[in-house]
Amino acid sequence: MNESINSSMKWRYFKQTLFFGIVRLSFLIIALALGGLLLYIVINGIGVINLDFITTMPTDSMTRGGIMPAIVGTIYLTVGAILIGLPLGVASAIYLTEYAVQGRMIRIIKIGINCLAGVPSVVFGLFGLGLFVVMLKFGSSILAGSLTLGFLILPTIIGAAEEALKAVPQTFREASLALGVSKWQTIFRIVLPNALPGILTGSILGVGRAAGETAPIMFTAAAFFTAKLPESIFGEVMALPYHIYVLATAGTHIEETRPMQFGTVLVLIAVVLGIDLLAIIIRSRMRRNKRW
Amino acid sequence: MDANMIISLHNVNFYYGPSRALNDISMDFPEKQVTALIGPSGCGKSTLLRLLNRMNDLIIGTRVEGKVLFEGKDIYDGHVDPVEIRRKIGMVFQKPNPFPKTIYNNIAYGPKLTGANAGDLDALVEQSLKQAVLWDEVKDVLNKSAMNLSGGQQQRLCIARALAMKPDVLLMDEPTSALDPISTAKIEELIEELKKNYTIIIVTHNMQQAARISDSTAFFYIGNLIEYNKTEKIFTNPDVKQTEDYITGRFG
Repeated sequence: MNESINSSMKWRYFKQTLFFGIVRLSFLIIALALGGLLLYIVINGIGVINLDFITTMPTDSMTRGGIMPAIVGTIYLTVGAILIGLPLGVASAIYLTEYAVQGRMIRIIKIGINCLAGVPSVVFGLFGLGLFVVMLKFGSSILAGSLTLGFLILPTIIGAAEEALKAVPQTFREASLALGVSKWQTIFRIVLPNALPGILTGSILGVGRAAGETAPIMFTAAAFFTAKLPESIFGEVMALPYHIYVLATAGTHIEETRPMQFGTVLVLIAVVLGIDLLAIIIRSRMRRNKRW
Repeated sequence: MDANMIISLHNVNFYYGPSRALNDISMDFPEKQVTALIGPSGCGKSTLLRLLNRMNDLIIGTRVEGKVLFEGKDIYDGHVDPVEIRRKIGMVFQKPNPFPKTIYNNIAYGPKLTGANAGDLDALVEQSLKQAVLWDEVKDVLNKSAMNLSGGQQQRLCIARALAMKPDVLLMDEPTSALDPISTAKIEELIEELKKNYTIIIVTHNMQQAARISDSTAFFYIGNLIEYNKTEKIFTNPDVKQTEDYITGRFG
């Protein structure tokens, strides 16, 4: 009797150890893969990184010199995408969660938005080419590229904003409305400020995507090479992801420029991290006195 | 003796979708008195309370029939703005729900946004907090977050917040059910004090509380108004057997 309890305990303990082991192993594989990737990029790319690399124009058919215009271009495009995607996305989410009468129509719209998130980015690129570049005659430009990227990250931002708005306690809305404050003021003064940290968290994901995508900007904004920085939002720009693509596939000196390619990847990662860090700092400042 | 009736209900029915939550309610609420609404859970007393400042409008699929007169005017009339009604009929909720703002801004929020009483905000904040007997406890921390206050203090803050709008009527939905006995006693004292200037309608599950603080008491059971009379009468010699059974704890 006693023995059988003992052995069943042992068996259970063994199973527990086994499952914990599997979970630990999974984590380890992910961590190693990620760490390895980063390490590989750093080792291969760090050699070319210096002040000149990030502050000067490319020279000698882009086989020498820096990548400054691509860094500037990516920052322009990413900031542009946020300026377009964030207000539009937050406004859509406010409509969907606060105003729209929940029903079949809204469900279909929500499914549509989710599908949009899964659409390959090259489709967004072609959409941008058709609508912004050709039809609206923006040409290949910062404006067209930012709009395209803005639409690309729209589903991410809408999703995050919806969740963040829903997480604001209903009691806050009731308290405000019961004071005779209008619905719009309630949303603007109570709901939105309390949802903003959550909205930013979701937007960080969008930023990474906007900065890193190649396909959507290929037809709408990115230039193979520009001799100088763009002078207006109607100018073309170089961009880091496209620059990497060009160096790695379309140049005449693919092998020779390998270190530059790695260096550019490293800079791209740093730029994305930098923008994310900024968002995280803003978020934590906003959260400081928000507890409920 | 007979007070002015500030709110009157005439044959009011209320529906959540197809199901009826209130059956043909007719009653008057006297001005500057405390009226308690009692009854078991689901009897419709909270529904009735939230009908008086049109908070039920927020729930989709609800419908009101009959007349709800506030100072003689039907608040469900087509061109009445519920926002206006809520400025005159304030509400305190079951769980204290201060905004995640400073104590000062919790009070100033309503007057500032609605433009009502926006003259001297500092004075209004002080006056409202004094009315809610919270001033002495918080006067040195007005710029600290209201979330740091205790539950009882938070509830008095919510009362002060409602008072800052200078309403005529204060609706209270079980305002002490989430509080400890000492905080509850403070709120009850406060209600005694406030009825000099405000009409108070309070939903409570606590029989002793209803008996202690109210002038009139209405007993509800599954959507019907069973008995409505002076509190003294209800608690000593009710006319209806059901009322007696409920207040003596035989059911509910």
